[in-house]
Amino acid sequence: MKATVENIKTIIEAAGISGSADDLQLNVPLTGQGLDSLDMVNIYLQIEEEFDIKIPDEDLSRVQTIEDMIEYVNSAKSGDESV
Amino acid sequence: MLAIKTVAGYLPAKTISNYDRKEKFQIDDNFIENKIGVRRLKVRESDEKASDFCVKAYENLLKKSDVKSEAIDCCVVVTQNPDYKLPCTATIVHGKLGLPENCACFDISLGCSGYIYGLSNIIAFMKSNNLKNGLLFTSDIFSDIIDHDDKSTALILGDGASVTYISDDGGWLPGNFSFWTRGSGYKEIICDDHLFMNGRSVYEFASTTVSKHIKNFLSENNLEDGDIDKYILHQGSKYIVDTICKKLSVESSKVPYDISEYGNTAASTVPLVLEKEIDKTENNKMLLCGFGVGLSWGSAIIERRARH
Repeated sequence: MKATVENIKTIIEAAGISGSADDLQLNVPLTGQGLDSLDMVNIYLQIEEEFDIKIPDEDLSRVQTIEDMIEYVNSAKSGDESV
Repeated sequence: MLAIKTVAGYLPAKTISNYDRKEKFQIDDNFIENKIGVRRLKVRESDEKASDFCVKAYENLLKKSDVKSEAIDCCVVVTQNPDYKLPCTATIVHGKLGLPENCACFDISLGCSGYIYGLSNIIAFMKSNNLKNGLLFTSDIFSDIIDHDDKSTALILGDGASVTYISDDGGWLPGNFSFWTRGSGYKEIICDDHLFMNGRSVYEFASTTVSKHIKNFLSENNLEDGDIDKYILHQGSKYIVDTICKKLSVESSKVPYDISEYGNTAASTVPLVLEKEIDKTENNKMLLCGFGVGLSWGSAIIERRARH
């Protein structure tokens, strides 16, 4: 399954954020849009479970925006060596 | 049959407010109230040690129990912050309480899973050795070891203690226990110089491993949610307790959350909640679950002894 704006936003909503994920900008760090560190931890876990991938701690700086998350997941799923 | 008779807690009077630290840690009221769920932490006075907290917990026990110091034949302290590297803190408590010399004393070095392990250990030890009146203490002072600039720990960890009186006429019988360890995760919560906790890993552990463990434990004991009156979970934070509650799909009213005014006290969180729950008449069977540093986790079922 590929990551898309829709399914990543669904994951973000399911993490229990205040407000709607539809209001989130795709290329702005989520922590700059009202999400806190605990929200991010929950989102990373949901992404890992949903897409059956692992996001190691050293890669967290690469998954700060919705666009980052889509790219990261799809690279991991395609076995991109740059991941 | 040996059982839990009385539980008493001790929390120091000195308090730190997380509202006073909002600017320092760049947090807001929502984070304090609804995420970490800790408004205030209780912290020790300047020179108290774990044994001093045990003594104060025992003083609170005396106010609500007929325990006699001269009859105590077993004293166990669960702590990861002992008074000294040696001797064990239980012997120091023995001396401070003036317990008799025929009393067995030892420590158990575990954190958030410690009450579960401690409860099983003291009952099994007492039963094997025909002992009759035991005290199971939990006591940790984190003020010494946390990094007060570390958001992951400084906002959450508090100091506290408890004592559980175990006797033949106790009202709460322990049932089955279950114990688990993942030593490969030992670095996720570790103290060398200062305490370090990988918040992300600990959250994932609680959310996935601990939730599955509780479900499996119930199933293995032929129990369903309807059989359990309360789930007394280690109070890591509100976020963790809420997450496990959601993963278990149980009513939140059955999963007490209690630490907003004193913080996460490691092994003491379960008995501090238990103290409030064991006298409620609606509670007859409860599941206790501790999980954390080690990584170590475990659960127990306790049931109110039938009244005749």
